[in-house]
Amino acid sequence: MNAASHESQIVAQLTQIQMPLRLYVQSLLPGEPSAADVSQLTNAKIWEKRAEFTLGTNFKAWAFSIARFEVLNYRKQQARDSRLVFGQELEETFAQELAEENDALERRHVALKQCLGKLRAPDRDLLMHRYASTETLLDYAQKSGRSIGGLKVTLHRLRNALLGCIEKHVGPDLLES
Amino acid sequence: MKPSARNQLIDSLLDGDISEADFIRLEAEFSVNPEARKAYYERLALSAMLQTEAGAAPHRIAEFKAPRTRAYLSGVLAMAAAVAALFAVNSLFLHPKKSDLFTHEPTGPAEQKASGFAILSGQSELVWKNRASIASGSLLPTGSLSLQSGLAQIELLSGVSLIVEGEADFEILSSMEMKVTRGKVRARVPEPAHGFRIHTSEGQVVDLGTEFALDVAKEKSEVHVLDGQVEWHPKTEAKQLLSKGEGLRLETNGDKTNIKADDRGFVGVNAMNKKLASNLSARRAEWLHFIEKLRKDPRLVALFHMGPAGSRQLPNESVTGTQIVKEGAVVGASHVADRWGVSGEALDFSATVSRVRMNIPGEYRSVSMFAWVKINSLDRKYNSLFLTDGHDPSEPHWQIMNDGRLFFAVKKRPFPEPKNQYAFYSPSLWNASMSAQWLMLAAVYDVDQRQVTFYLNGQPISQEAIPAEFMVEKVTIGQASLCNWGLPLRDDPEFAIRNFNGSMDEFALFSAALTPSEIKDIYDHGKP
Repeated sequence: MNAASHESQIVAQLTQIQMPLRLYVQSLLPGEPSAADVSQLTNAKIWEKRAEFTLGTNFKAWAFSIARFEVLNYRKQQARDSRLVFGQELEETFAQELAEENDALERRHVALKQCLGKLRAPDRDLLMHRYASTETLLDYAQKSGRSIGGLKVTLHRLRNALLGCIEKHVGPDLLES
Repeated sequence: MKPSARNQLIDSLLDGDISEADFIRLEAEFSVNPEARKAYYERLALSAMLQTEAGAAPHRIAEFKAPRTRAYLSGVLAMAAAVAALFAVNSLFLHPKKSDLFTHEPTGPAEQKASGFAILSGQSELVWKNRASIASGSLLPTGSLSLQSGLAQIELLSGVSLIVEGEADFEILSSMEMKVTRGKVRARVPEPAHGFRIHTSEGQVVDLGTEFALDVAKEKSEVHVLDGQVEWHPKTEAKQLLSKGEGLRLETNGDKTNIKADDRGFVGVNAMNKKLASNLSARRAEWLHFIEKLRKDPRLVALFHMGPAGSRQLPNESVTGTQIVKEGAVVGASHVADRWGVSGEALDFSATVSRVRMNIPGEYRSVSMFAWVKINSLDRKYNSLFLTDGHDPSEPHWQIMNDGRLFFAVKKRPFPEPKNQYAFYSPSLWNASMSAQWLMLAAVYDVDQRQVTFYLNGQPISQEAIPAEFMVEKVTIGQASLCNWGLPLRDDPEFAIRNFNGSMDEFALFSAALTPSEIKDIYDHGKP
């Protein structure tokens, strides 16, 4: 197999696992604004190490192991003492389950778009602003002049509503399949 | 825990303001309850999708041309994720300050990490304008690039491979786009990168799965389709499809002529590879010639080449040294290509047990050592370069810390006495973006000048005086290993595994302090 073909397959596989990879990194770094950067660093690292990957073996598992290493690296660089980190065993469970997770993510995303359309405009704007920002919730609350308690309650309610709506959309499909 | 309370805690966790007590409760719940984990994944996915939705809207990616391939079109989500991913990689490189990821990175080589989305994969007689040389294997800096002369082989993250011939002015705009204002470019575009485009002052060349070449000069530009098809999008007229064998000549006065594609004016991938190989073998021959002199240097105690493939005993190449040290023994390490690309001439030490064992009797006053290494990653707290077994008084240890600093120490008093050694550290000299590069590392322990100096690629990077109370005037070595640690008897077992995750293709030990100009000379003759 020539190098160009090897690389095109790596690109294709890397593209396919973007979402699981991102979920895995975020599951290890919950609430960490830089988690998205860590998944991007993981992408760069995977690309850098692409020659080491043997086609036909489990790409996702390989990628996850690189992701885990990047997460550990990131934690090391963060000199914070008060960091909350899950136990290693639990993190391994996340890796296993998220690698198997194939829960119609694409359909859920399509459903989410429709569900967002059903929200009141101010609620939708709040979500879009909040998720476009990489600030902590506290910083965000202060900047937008809201109380953090009120903001948390609103976001929690909106997420519940969206998840309920998504379930309704993808539910019938699941029964048929 | 009730699902509603649990979901509230998960949201607090994802919002980043959970209390420690709640975190522990949630962790316990996750550990025993698969439903709780499922809820966690669901809410994580919701967050990620909302981030994509929120991030996909702004104008900043509106200009990004989504590649037209099956892989990318396999789902709205996959495409959005891929576009977001490509964009985010770029934005991260362009705006490293955006996150605090780099806060603890040292200055110096680490800055390379924060630039570029293409890799300089090979070069031949390359001279940049207004810029020092760039090592092969490095990320190319973003922004305008100017070649005075020579050939650059460039790989974009999307898989596009380019050969740019100087004199040339160009800019890599993203993994899928570049701009050429002058010079010759030959592009090979693999399937996942179809849609790759090159902007010129007259218009754009958009790839539809192909190999094509572009020659942009002051008075005219030419497009040559060598394989597959491209679309030519002029600034003013309708687009034009060009197939294999076809070409276009565009004059600055607006004249347009159909021409036959001709690849003779452009260096192709095969020719480039040949060129690279012949450059390397010429440089290697020069090094072997230099080594012949070095072997006779009476100060040389040991010199090990790691090849050829399959050898488990490495003869000491030093003419005088061989009377003291006959050979080194390869354990566990496997043969790989050396820095010249010759296969089997270097050793890979990534297997945990791998090492080269040796016994170096005698007493030395000052010592110098150098090694050519390629670092895959720095996995351990200590990554061995050259360690004596254990670490008894008067023995040297040379290794790399996991943050990229070189470490050198000669034991003064037995462990665990307090103040048993003084460790010298260089500034950090390595980061992950350098993992494809061969580096020459050197350490000089100079008793007469009372100082330790570290070198990277022939240049001193730090120097420190040896404190009087830690001065050891007689260095002994005895049983020692390259790239691992022999017998971890005393130290914390956590640090007992010290194999070096990388390759080494030469190691030398001298019974004297080499001067900066001698080290530079070795580097200049030995660089690939």
